[in-house]
Amino acid sequence: MTQQTFKSAQRRYHRLFWPLMFLYTVMVLLGSFGLDVFDPQPTWLQVVIALACTAPVIATLLVMMRYTEETDEYTRMVQLRSFAWGAVFTVSALFTVGFLQLFGVVDRIDVFWFGPVFFLAYGVSTHLIGGKQCS
Amino acid sequence: MKNIIRALRAERGWSQAALADQLGVSRQSINAIETGKYDPSLPLAFSIARLFEKSIEEIFDDETDVQLAAQ
Repeated sequence: MTQQTFKSAQRRYHRLFWPLMFLYTVMVLLGSFGLDVFDPQPTWLQVVIALACTAPVIATLLVMMRYTEETDEYTRMVQLRSFAWGAVFTVSALFTVGFLQLFGVVDRIDVFWFGPVFFLAYGVSTHLIGGKQCS
Repeated sequence: MKNIIRALRAERGWSQAALADQLGVSRQSINAIETGKYDPSLPLAFSIARLFEKSIEEIFDDETDVQLAAQ
């Protein structure tokens, strides 16, 4: 273990995480604006905008995974448990809502919202497992 | 697992952050180890022992584990 393992991993993480969040915000705003301008909206444009909005999210998840691999062992344990609890909560919600839809109990719920649900569950888990210092 | 890291750190006048810096881990890691919330890996335990110039057994108390093994 090098002396600067944790700090350098944290620096690398923040150096990419915040620009990616900024890029995501810009893409969502530009995408919404772009779709408003085009009428009728060509399918290819919808696909391009959807992928452009998704790319920063995927990159953020990869950055989070790299941070988990590079950071110190305690933070890694907190991160992995938080990912696991986030996945448990999100997949449980997916199955529950899925069956409720299948049996006609609830109307259509946009799949999009399960992404934010995962990040919320992950954030809350990090706070509960590692204390507020880790979140 | 109980340990005497807090006492050893206090003897040297080091903060948790200072110890964390020397070990290359987060301050939260030191806090979790000191309070017994987290048991360090063997490499980290060796690093801690080397830093305080003591053996692992002098720093970490595995009495609970020994009692469990005996049962």
